[in-house]
Order: sequence, then C-alpha cells, then structure tokens
Amino acid sequence: MEPPYKILVVDDEPDLEPLMLQRMRRHIRAGRYTFVFAQNGIEALERLNEQDDIDMVLSDINMPRMDGLTLLEQIPKVDPNIRSVIVSAYGDMKNIRTAMNRGAFDFVTKPLDFADLKITIDRTLSHMTEWREALSSRDKLVALQNELNVASQIQQSILPTEFAQGDNYRIYGSMDPARNVGGDFFDVVHMEDGFVGLAIADVSDKGVPAALFMMSTRTLLKGSAIGIGDPGKVLGEVNELLEEDNDAGMFVTVFYAVYNPLNGELAFANGGHNSPLIVHTDGSSTFLPLTKGIALGVMPGLPYKEQSITLAPGDTVFLYTDGVTEAMNTEGEEFGEERLQQVFATVSPQDPQAANEAVFAAVREFAGETPQSDDITCLALSRSES
Amino acid sequence: MGVSTERQDNTLIAKTEGRIDGANAREFQDALDAAIDSSERAVVLDLEEVSYISSAGLRVILLTAKSLQKQDAKFAVCSLSESIREIFEISGFDQIIAVHDSRNEAVDALKN
Repeated sequence: MEPPYKILVVDDEPDLEPLMLQRMRRHIRAGRYTFVFAQNGIEALERLNEQDDIDMVLSDINMPRMDGLTLLEQIPKVDPNIRSVIVSAYGDMKNIRTAMNRGAFDFVTKPLDFADLKITIDRTLSHMTEWREALSSRDKLVALQNELNVASQIQQSILPTEFAQGDNYRIYGSMDPARNVGGDFFDVVHMEDGFVGLAIADVSDKGVPAALFMMSTRTLLKGSAIGIGDPGKVLGEVNELLEEDNDAGMFVTVFYAVYNPLNGELAFANGGHNSPLIVHTDGSSTFLPLTKGIALGVMPGLPYKEQSITLAPGDTVFLYTDGVTEAMNTEGEEFGEERLQQVFATVSPQDPQAANEAVFAAVREFAGETPQSDDITCLALSRSES
Repeated sequence: MGVSTERQDNTLIAKTEGRIDGANAREFQDALDAAIDSSERAVVLDLEEVSYISSAGLRVILLTAKSLQKQDAKFAVCSLSESIREIFEISGFDQIIAVHDSRNEAVDALKN
C-alpha cells in the first residue's frame, strides 16, 4: 500500500468538502492523500463500487437516505478489507458504541479537530498497510504450500508402482513419506540381459533442496546403472557427478545392487547406507556386511567397493532407509534393527509386498502417537523357492 | 540448539547437546558458525551430550569440516555415544572426519 492514499469522506454537509480540501491541502499537494466525497451512505456505496482503490472511509452518522451506521454494515459486502472511521457528535456515546460494534476502526468527534483527524487517518492507514501485508503473506504462504504439495506429489510419482515380476523372483517397494518434501527414493532398473538393478537412497535433510538433490541423484543413478552396470563403478560415477557443484554440502546415502536372476547372485556396493537384510526361509536373517563406502556427494575420487552374495532359493533381500530403524516410540526409543529382524521371524518374506506391509505395520504400531519425522522406504526382492 | 565453547591449549572445543535433526539442524549450523572464528586453527566438536544425530545434522558437521579445511584448520569430533558412532560408521563419515574417544585424545591428536 503506497501513497497517495484514497479516502472516501461521507457527509451531508456541503461545506465539509472545501473545508477538508483546504485543511489537508499540504498533504494533498505532497501526494499523501486524495479525497473522494459522497453525501450519504447510498452515494458512498456507489463510489466504493466504482473505485476499487479507496483505502478508507470517513463517515458522518446522521445523513439522509442511508445513515453512517447502516453504511458500516454495507461496506464489508463491497470490500471486507476497508477500514472506516466514524464522525459523531461530541459525547454521543450510544452511536459511537454502535459504530464500533459494527466494525468501525476508530471515531472522531465534531467539531473536527484536523490535527487529531490527521493522526487518526494515519493510524488507520498504517493499520491497513500492515493488514494488507499480512493478507498477502498469507496468500503467498498458501501458494507456496500448494507448490510444495505438488513437488511432493511429483516426487512420489517418480517412484515405481508397478513391479515387473521375473520367472524366478518377485519385487516390491513402497514409501511412506513424512509430511515435508523429503529425500528418500528407491528405484528398480531392468537391464537388457535380464539383470535387475535395485537402488534405495536417502538424501540428507528435507525440503526443496533435498528434493532437488534427490531428483538429480535418481536421474544420474539410473543413467549410470544402465550405462555401466557394475554397482561399485555406478556409485563412483554418481558420486563424482553429484560432488561437482555441491556447495550446499548435501549428500545422499545409496545402496545399489544388481541381481542376476539366472543364478541368484547379488552384486552390491554401499555408499553410506544402512545395510540391507537377507531374510531366509526359516525367518532368520543377517545384515549384509558393511563395505565401508562413504555417502555420495561428500568428496570426489572415492572408490566404492563391490561385494557379492548369492541368494539361496527362498531368500529375500530387504532394503530400507533409516526411517524404519530410527522411528521413535512415545518413550523416545528407536525401532532398531532387532525389531526389524523380529518382524521376519513371524512373517514369511516370500511375498515382498506382504513383507513391506508387515514392516510398515510394525513401525506404525511401535511409533504409536509419535509423529513420523522421516520418510519410511522399503524395497524387497525375493528369489523364488524353485 | 545452543553451542557452548571453551579453549584447551590452542584448540577450540565446541559442545552441544540433545537431538540434532531436521527440525534444529539450521539452528545448530548458525550456532556453530557463530562459535567458530575464521582465525581458528583447530576445532573439536564434542558430541558427548548428543543423543541423536540425523543426516541433516551430519550435513552440518560436514559443512563445518569443509569450511575449516578451506581455512587450513584441523577438525575432529569426540566422545560419540555408541549409536552416534554407528551412524558415523554406516554413513562412512568416520573415514573423512577424525573421530576420537575423548576430548583430551582429540586435542592431543590435533596438536600434531
């Protein structure tokens, strides 16, 4: 809101217009105020409808056709954000109270003291300015929130939802996002020779920067996965590319594995991510050994050691993010790795979707009323039993 | 998220407490930045009283390590609880940031 401020003066006294213009001439000449005049409430509403740049109303109470108190009730219907100052006879407390109850911002008394009127007008305008700024910030916030919701939807929409099942393996992955745009993702890459790439990742921090970093990680990873194949080299290349212009110090933990459906071999490399779990048919499970890889984006030139294991028929490799193991209950305890292993002691992991759902259910039950602070993401591959 | 500091020999010891997660990582970063002067030559971050650190918190430590490296200063963390040491190991941060069992050990190591 910037000067000149437009003030609508409503009074049936024809002498008021020249008097007001004369007494306020310095402020008019300085470009601070402009005035519009009306002789009663009906005319005032007409002015308000014609001119949407009127900032405030200064109105008498007793007028023919429509009085000031009725006008006060009508103004919000034209513009709820216009403030009104009422002019009353000195000591007419009854009308002043009615006016204030009907939403007048302030009042002045007759005969008009122009110095006091100037203060009252400025106070009203300054309140209006703040009010409009608050309204505009609120609108911006709502718009931003909507954009964030869209960002969050885009982010989730890039996650695979359909899982091509192989002749002798099954895959399922899902993510339960925390409220903010977050940094987890998983991906399944089908390669020409029937090999399957499995990736799970967690970007440091949350919010829009993390989401952007996550998007570029996913794109780079997919490109390298298809181009190179070899998990250790894939992470090495993605690390170089991410590190190049990463002044914000973001990093991402990534576990990447390539599964050979012909012999059950799982070659993997780990960039600072939680060790996946290998679950056997009897419900027992072991964590894959740590390969001492460092989170991606931290430092250039890092090697990522590759290891491999062979999944026995019926084995499941269960990838997850720390949203699972670091989920907290109301006592402040973490879900932890042991509870994760316990889930599989009772649930057959043969069906990766059921395994995912069992873990999500166990985490939710454990967390109880504690709000979810991190994305929870799981990706599982089971080698069929025969 | 406050950071308190003291000096031992020529080393600045910065200490904080509680949880460092996405909700207060920014605050932690600001407090740490304010505590560390560009003339510092050796800084130890004492994590003894820290109960949990998320990846957002690790990022702040990484940024601090990088900016100290730029000013040719040495940096180490010390007195990690078992669960925080595990977070450092899994993420591989223990290989790029010096981790010491105690404050004295860290200060001695940074002297050399």
